[in-house]
Amino acid sequence: MRKIILTMLIAFAFVLNAAAQDRTITGRILDEKGVPVAGVSVTSTDDKTGTQTDAEGNYRLNVSAKAKTLTFTNVNFETVQSQIKGNQVNIVMNSKTSVLEDVVVVGYQTLKRKEIIGSVTTVGNKEVAQKPIVNFTQLLQGKAPGLQITGQTGRPGASANIRIRGIGSITASAEPLIILDGVQVSSQAYSAINPNDIEDIAVLKDAAAAALYGSRAANGVLVITSKRGKGKPELRYSFQYGRSRTLDLKNVELMTSAQKLQYEFEGNYTNSLLGGLIRSKITAGSLPAGSNLFNIDPTQRQNLWNELSATGAGDWRNYYLQDGTSKTHELALSGSDDKFKYYFSLNKNDNIGTLFGSKFNKTGGRLNVEYQAKDWIKIGTNLNVVRSKEDVVRERFNTQGSYTAIFFTNPYEKVYNADGSYNLTLQGYSPLEGTVNNPLTNDRITAFTSIFAEAKLLKYLTLKSTIGINYNNLSQESYLKPGSNLANILGFNQKTDIFQREVAYVFTNTANWRQTIGRTKHSYSILGGQEFNKDQFYQLLATGRNFPSPSLTTLDNSGTPNAASTSRFDFALISYFSSISYDYAKKYYVTLSGRRDGSSRFGANNKYANFGAVGLAWDAYKENFVNKINFLSALKFKASQGTSGNNTVGNYDNLGTYGLNGRYNDAPGATPARLANPNLSWEINKTTDYAMEFGLFHDRITGSAGYFKRKTSKLLYDVNVSYTTGFTSYRGNIGNLENKGVELELTGNIIRKKNLNWSITGTYTHVDNKITALYSDNVPQGIGRLKIGEPILTYFLVRAAGINPANGKQQYLKQDGTVTETFSASDAVLLQGKSPNVKFYGSLSTNFTYKAFDISAQMYYSGGNYINNLQYNYSTGNGSSFVSQQFTKAFDYWKKAGDVTFLPNLNDPTQRVRQTTDKYLEKGDYITLRDLTIGYNLSTALANKIKLKGFRFFLQGTNLYLGTRFHGLPEIGTSNSEDGGYNGQTARFAYPQARSITAGFDVRF
Amino acid sequence: MKKYLIIGLVLITVIFSCKKSEIELFPYNQIETTQAFTNEAGASLALNGMYYGLRVAGGYYVQNWAIQSEVASDNVIISSAGRLSQRAFHDWTYNGDNTSSSFQDGYTMVRRANAILENIDKVPGSTPAFINNTKGQALACRAMVYFDLARVYSKSPLNATATDYTVPYVTTTDATIKPGNESVSIFYDKIIKDLNDAKGLIAVSNPVGQLNLAAVNALLSKVYLYKGDYANCIAASTAALGVTPVLSDTTTCPLVWQDASEAGVIFKIKNTDLDGITTQGVNYYQKVAGGIKSEYVVDYAFYQLFQNNDVRKAAYTFVSPYNTVNQIHVVKFAGRTTAGTPAGNLDAKVLRAAEVLLNRAEAYYKSGSEPLALADVNLLKIKRYKGYVNVVIAGQALLDEINLQRRLEMAFEGDRFWNLKRLNLPVQRSNFGDRADGSGPTYVFKTLAAGDYRFNFPIPQNEVNFNTNLKQVPGY
Repeated sequence: MRKIILTMLIAFAFVLNAAAQDRTITGRILDEKGVPVAGVSVTSTDDKTGTQTDAEGNYRLNVSAKAKTLTFTNVNFETVQSQIKGNQVNIVMNSKTSVLEDVVVVGYQTLKRKEIIGSVTTVGNKEVAQKPIVNFTQLLQGKAPGLQITGQTGRPGASANIRIRGIGSITASAEPLIILDGVQVSSQAYSAINPNDIEDIAVLKDAAAAALYGSRAANGVLVITSKRGKGKPELRYSFQYGRSRTLDLKNVELMTSAQKLQYEFEGNYTNSLLGGLIRSKITAGSLPAGSNLFNIDPTQRQNLWNELSATGAGDWRNYYLQDGTSKTHELALSGSDDKFKYYFSLNKNDNIGTLFGSKFNKTGGRLNVEYQAKDWIKIGTNLNVVRSKEDVVRERFNTQGSYTAIFFTNPYEKVYNADGSYNLTLQGYSPLEGTVNNPLTNDRITAFTSIFAEAKLLKYLTLKSTIGINYNNLSQESYLKPGSNLANILGFNQKTDIFQREVAYVFTNTANWRQTIGRTKHSYSILGGQEFNKDQFYQLLATGRNFPSPSLTTLDNSGTPNAASTSRFDFALISYFSSISYDYAKKYYVTLSGRRDGSSRFGANNKYANFGAVGLAWDAYKENFVNKINFLSALKFKASQGTSGNNTVGNYDNLGTYGLNGRYNDAPGATPARLANPNLSWEINKTTDYAMEFGLFHDRITGSAGYFKRKTSKLLYDVNVSYTTGFTSYRGNIGNLENKGVELELTGNIIRKKNLNWSITGTYTHVDNKITALYSDNVPQGIGRLKIGEPILTYFLVRAAGINPANGKQQYLKQDGTVTETFSASDAVLLQGKSPNVKFYGSLSTNFTYKAFDISAQMYYSGGNYINNLQYNYSTGNGSSFVSQQFTKAFDYWKKAGDVTFLPNLNDPTQRVRQTTDKYLEKGDYITLRDLTIGYNLSTALANKIKLKGFRFFLQGTNLYLGTRFHGLPEIGTSNSEDGGYNGQTARFAYPQARSITAGFDVRF
Repeated sequence: MKKYLIIGLVLITVIFSCKKSEIELFPYNQIETTQAFTNEAGASLALNGMYYGLRVAGGYYVQNWAIQSEVASDNVIISSAGRLSQRAFHDWTYNGDNTSSSFQDGYTMVRRANAILENIDKVPGSTPAFINNTKGQALACRAMVYFDLARVYSKSPLNATATDYTVPYVTTTDATIKPGNESVSIFYDKIIKDLNDAKGLIAVSNPVGQLNLAAVNALLSKVYLYKGDYANCIAASTAALGVTPVLSDTTTCPLVWQDASEAGVIFKIKNTDLDGITTQGVNYYQKVAGGIKSEYVVDYAFYQLFQNNDVRKAAYTFVSPYNTVNQIHVVKFAGRTTAGTPAGNLDAKVLRAAEVLLNRAEAYYKSGSEPLALADVNLLKIKRYKGYVNVVIAGQALLDEINLQRRLEMAFEGDRFWNLKRLNLPVQRSNFGDRADGSGPTYVFKTLAAGDYRFNFPIPQNEVNFNTNLKQVPGY
């Protein structure tokens, strides 16, 4: 095809130009390494005619007799002008240095990597491309020191929690700011970005790097740049197919049917199924009247148990879980010439989740275009539209959750009734039935657009304007179908449709002056800019009841319209910013930046805030006395300090209001909605950062080490009030917080041969987090508390003190440390040093390539946090709920004096109660083999033979190994979708992470 | 061309740019607190918002009020076929972490009343009649909620000493307060004062879904009975009932529980089909494919006390099998029978003439007027038993009958536990199981001794931790 197009283009050009030409110039263009350069424009300066070099670098151009010069241009090379001497002009072009040098888009401008003063880690396309994960954020896990990623749940399409250098905010979002092609994207939207469209991701960690994003950069910034075309047109097709299963629970085991029945028997409990079986046997005469589970002989009992178990489901995981699959097709076309750059991609990704009924499909496309209209003006646009559809499976903290039900439903219970309908089980609800008959679907359209124009007005001055619009549309439908179990229980069937639209608009204008004076010794750059952000949210909700048939799904079929409501809110931010950078001989660097932001979210007195930063860097290796040290190959020191802010609180939290959505006797009512806080103001982050980068033995060992300290003041949090005020809290600034720690990264390039490369990289981040001041005492709402000197939400719980071996009762510690057998909530104490915050994390990865083969592996580890393992608590409930399935650990209960056990006497009714204590507070340390990839790249020569540019095949495994002492699964993001809570605080039956194996290939034409 | 482009760019920058006023934003669905009481319509909205608070409060009558105190007493037993909900209340294992939400809910409702009381006199352009009626309702609502809080969190005044305390009596909307405990006797005096103030202000004609003069008197009847002030109890009861008490009868009694009749209902919290709060009914059972699946079923011994000619037997209870086992289900809150109404969706009856009549009967009895007490008992019984013939009883038998009728009449509504506390009686549960014939798993915990600290629910520990002036209920 390509040939045809080329032939036609050439023919077309020939036809147009034939009349005027009277001689033909030919030639070949090579780069400095002697490689042919395709796509070079060759123009005759005098004739204004031109052509392009082909794949072999050859060109042929007809010129008139008067033509004297040819101009050779290509976006990646320095432009060359050459006199026409004879009929052949061969040229060697030099690559533009800026292309070879690593550039990073940070702080409203593109900087050379070497010039960046702040702490920035970039994750390149190679590290994220072709990894079979629906959400790109998880790809970042372990890729950069200081960056912590926790998958919220294993639901396909779920986002991840991203933390950069600890947790600087509690209720206000601790998520970093995410900028895609210059435009802020919402947290919901970023999970829709296609990983293969990403050129690179810059992780801005300290104030110097992030300062220009001032207002919202308190938790760091992720700057994502999508791909631009480069060079000859390239068509890429990628395909992936993967299968996945939920990770197995660690260190615990669900009971088998026989075990559970034995356990119930030991607990002197007859479940109603056995009770029914005994009664029917009595009626049939096979058991004497008056028989019960405890007065029949063991053989009879065993027979009963066998009979019940025979019809049971056994392991419910076979029903509530399923094998997940993931299938991705992607087509991308990209390229550039001297004026035009383009990247075009289409992708389709279909996932079946690992919980019964879970499904997530995504289709999207992107077009990035950049056009150099005049030599001084460039225009461009980045367009990305993604449509996703999801069948959502209920994640509830009760038997309605498919995953939760595994822990609730007994193995001796049937899946189906005799008539083929779903057995509702002793729980009275079958999530299988619920998934089928109460579907919930999300249909989203997400569009990211940015349109920009960049003008170089004077030699040193560049102006740039960008308009960005992110559009997020959700239509959600949930249906309690007529005839479904829930509809029967509730007494009505119902369908709710939600339509939601969120538009984020941003308009940015910058002016940038860059100049080098004095024989390239003094360079300076001045940037000034202004930005306006506006976010508008609108939601429409309609509910109807009384549908005639499950197959009718639109609300016009509902017999009784039940509810219609809308909600709407706005948010706006005005910003002005400026930065000045200076360097002397690329050796000494200094940057100053400042920003002023006004946010609609704060009280009248505090809408505006100023932020600023200063950064210093010294490229020590450029000093003669340093580069003489012969084992050194690079050495650089950096230091920075600055402030940034956070305004991610509710949109109107400063206002005291009455809500008008109360309704009594079907008439409207007004109710106090919120306490006023006109003093509500910006959360301020002050960051200090010291770092060094080094290379040893010709970069055989490279690494970086950094120390950081983030001081958050005016921490945004709920300030408690007495319940007797009719409120529990208002949004305020509660205190100060400090995160400090170190980041280390070390890479060893063990083998660097032509055909054989092997490197190992380790990263380690340690973060200590503590409250340093509280303006108002915080009182726990739940199980965590803020206390000066302690990490955020340090656990505040009653201490369990084991089982009394003498009488089998659970013991607790009173506040004063004495032992008691009576649980009292007022005995809760602060458990120093135990908090849900991860203290250390990092990765160990290796890359190995031999000729066409490559193997890479990454282990990710995380720890130092404590998790309230509610899942374990429920599943070793000690008779508090015989109706529910249990872990085999439940057998570890007290039986006779002297027993040292985990659980109290099963047959003591006072002990059949679950209390929230530190008994189930467990360390969350884990290590996982996050990624193992084996790939094969067809050699260029071989590929070219079959008319390909390249071919790659790979096999990849995710989470193939998990090591932990935690009972269950330790990677806790949100505890489950129903219960927000503080991230990582409680393990509560969330959609678990999956283990998956994926195979795929990549063909480039 | 360059010139035009530059001009164009500058123009665009100006057009798309912003004004500073764009960061002055206000919500679309709320008004600022200062704007809430600027006219009569605003005050009416706030009043309706107060009633809305009664409807949605999790710990109040439309939701968990009945179940939590009911399962703590001896009227119902946990069903082994159920989900074991509300077990902490059944087993008396509640603590500061899992107590009733009445405390928080109560003060939320009180605040709405307080906001009205603080602002109503300042509402421009409103009539005295409007002001008085609104103020009267706010006072009555506040007193009603406080009375219920006192019943839950403290000893009843009959058993309390001067040092016994209860929750704070807050009368302000100041959000900075950290109030301490109030003594039980002063707390009751404040309730009575609020109600007496309301009496002079509130309208007679407010509909049954709002508080009115009869409701205020009915509340006073109850409060005085708890206080042991029998003369005032009689006077208030009579004022509430009128010369000829209007009670539901053998026909309308069941209909009241389907919201098909308002006979004898003095005040109820409306919960319309649109509101759809089903908690009252669903707390007792759910209707599933296999039949009625109860969480709590009627205690067999208690069930025996319902005679066959008592219309309450069928109105309140229903025997049906679940999983082949017959059980006695509580159907008092099954809900309206109109098509499309969610199961368990019902107005919450807070004050009924029958209860007031029993208050008066008890007060008559305690003040020595046995014949008048007997007349009230007979008046109620003739409306409940088909073919009833007046009886003549006296002394202990009469008192027993009054207590029995209260237990039967108010069954499953959340009165029993507080009434036992008022009378300083223990919870003494039967030896029967959860099945309709009295067999099956029995109560695990059978007795709560009279005066046990667990007759008072604990205040949420969070509040005690924060409000250092507030003491936890003794024993927790």
